[in-house]
Amino acid sequence: MIKIINESFDLETEFNSASSYINGAYSFFLGTVRSDLSSSNKKIKGIYLECYEELALAQLKKIRSKALNNWKLNECLIIHRVGKLNIGEKIVLVITASSHRANAIEACEFVIDSLKIDVAFWKFHLLNNDQKEMVLQKYLDNEKMLKWKDIIS
Amino acid sequence: MNITLKYFSWIRVKLKKSHDLIELNQSISFKELKNNLISKDPLYNEIFEDKSVKYFLNLKEIDNENQILNNGDILAFLPPVTGG
Repeated sequence: MIKIINESFDLETEFNSASSYINGAYSFFLGTVRSDLSSSNKKIKGIYLECYEELALAQLKKIRSKALNNWKLNECLIIHRVGKLNIGEKIVLVITASSHRANAIEACEFVIDSLKIDVAFWKFHLLNNDQKEMVLQKYLDNEKMLKWKDIIS
Repeated sequence: MNITLKYFSWIRVKLKKSHDLIELNQSISFKELKNNLISKDPLYNEIFEDKSVKYFLNLKEIDNENQILNNGDILAFLPPVTGG
């Protein structure tokens, strides 16, 4: 299941939608809005997430398919929010489900690493003067993807 | 023929618009469109010089500048992504 949504989501509800008696292991990744500093060292008041929805859905579908096939998952749920989010709010949820824990854990890491560098979302810091400041892609996120190069190719 | 251009992130901010509808008399290549846009507005030069920007035609990344654009195509300008 893949969802791109404005509103928040409930963890228990999403877990129930991914759960099944055939699974013995679930791995979760939950990304939230961090109390970050702007480039001018001032506390941000939240973030704004922009998205090219048609492309992001297609990209997430590919990532999910790779995760399901490579780690023999029974389910892979990906939810990503867009729009204005306050500090502490949930941004992204990945749940991977499999028979055993190793596959679920590794697949979950693959999905979030891939999402970080390969899906059409853009983050802006919301500043106190209501201005937006673009968040730059992190070099480390790209480096981390090298770990998965055999799976990507 | 019409081609829709979609702009995201800093490109949208720089151009002060999220999209454009380009009307053309005939099909042109991506390279020709780039030159047309640069000649109309120098801001496009800055965008096309940034090698981190990717271009997606109908949801597929352009890997050949000679690719032909056709009526109804959607060309998206994508800076490096920062979701998650």
